Amino acid sequence: MSGASVAVLQRVPLFADLDESELERVASVFKPRRFAEGETVIQQGSGAAAFFVIDSGEATVFVDGHEQRVLKSGDYFGEMALIDAGTRTATVTAASELVCSGVTFWDFRPLIEENGVIGWKLLESLINIYRSERGK
Amino acid sequence: MTLVDAQDTSVFGSKAVGLGQAMRDELPVPPGVALAGPIVEAVAGGDERAIEQVVEWVRPLGGPLAVRSSAVDEDGAAASFAGQHMTLLNVPGSDEIASALSDIWWSANSDSAITYRQRVGLFTRPSVGVVVQVLVDPETAGVMFTQNPVTGADERVIEASWGLGEAVVAGRVIPDHFRVDRAGEVLERAPGRKSIAFRSLPDGGTVEQEIETELVERLCLEDDDLAELSRLADRCEQVYGPARDIEWAIADGTLYLLQCRAVTTLGP
Repeated sequence: MSGASVAVLQRVPLFADLDESELERVASVFKPRRFAEGETVIQQGSGAAAFFVIDSGEATVFVDGHEQRVLKSGDYFGEMALIDAGTRTATVTAASELVCSGVTFWDFRPLIEENGVIGWKLLESLINIYRSERGK
Repeated sequence: MTLVDAQDTSVFGSKAVGLGQAMRDELPVPPGVALAGPIVEAVAGGDERAIEQVVEWVRPLGGPLAVRSSAVDEDGAAASFAGQHMTLLNVPGSDEIASALSDIWWSANSDSAITYRQRVGLFTRPSVGVVVQVLVDPETAGVMFTQNPVTGADERVIEASWGLGEAVVAGRVIPDHFRVDRAGEVLERAPGRKSIAFRSLPDGGTVEQEIETELVERLCLEDDDLAELSRLADRCEQVYGPARDIEWAIADGTLYLLQCRAVTTLGP
């Protein structure tokens, strides 16, 4: 057994329409990463190395120092800066002991390029973010 | 493979190959193994066969261990990854090696490491080789430049403090400062303020300890130690070439070479 848990990835909206074999392929490029409570997972303004799915524990999202929301098992973060090689748009810290599965830029890009279903889901998720930002 | 057999920088990284060369040239390097980037990545990904293989290689070293990154493009002439890629000291033994390798692999794939890579024009997939060595438990440790890095003068510059060398490398103390000429004559002995030392803990990891008051400003190297360090500088320059940046430690009266790399900037 290596990579991420297929059971966890099944709960991630981005991967919800994938079949078992596609999920196993996706899971194989993820690597586990643990964070202690209080540890900074990603930092707003920093370059971006990886995209994370939460296996267990909770994380808090901050933008410009203001708390935005709490992320839980099955939630994911960090995908935007991996797409345009830009900087992180939020800071995420571990609100408890946090176990994530992470995939780096170098594995994330081929994953999206090779799998149109995941690419489409990612587009939908980004459009949702765009619409909610426009509605503010 | 054992450190002494590491010869290909494109596989094991410059740190591992440099230490392997030092062992082949009979410099006093603690025993260890070199791990190539792909197997480190497989261990970080939780591949059980890779983990079993690495445990088998590392077990004969016993413990405690020093586990250091040796990324393939690390410590090049134009870029230094010091501070970006993690070093783990006092890892208890082979049972803890998989977790240590995962931490080091992620340190090279962290946001801060990637930001640094973008800044120095190295936005490429890191290949993270690792060096695993027996951890020495030094009375004194530090760094040595075989040529003065500030003035460019042809003299050895040595900075030293009590305990593990991390106190000097991480700038946590004002170290003792020595200058020694090529003939071994001591040109300067300037005591620092060594208020703390890093020591190994029995169950792994390190701890920062306060230093007894009378030792804070007492020189931590004798002239005999400086003479031996000067001889080590000679040997390192013979093996690697001029202008070397050396990490060293003295444990139970024995001088060890921990790392030797090219000085990235030389003044004036």
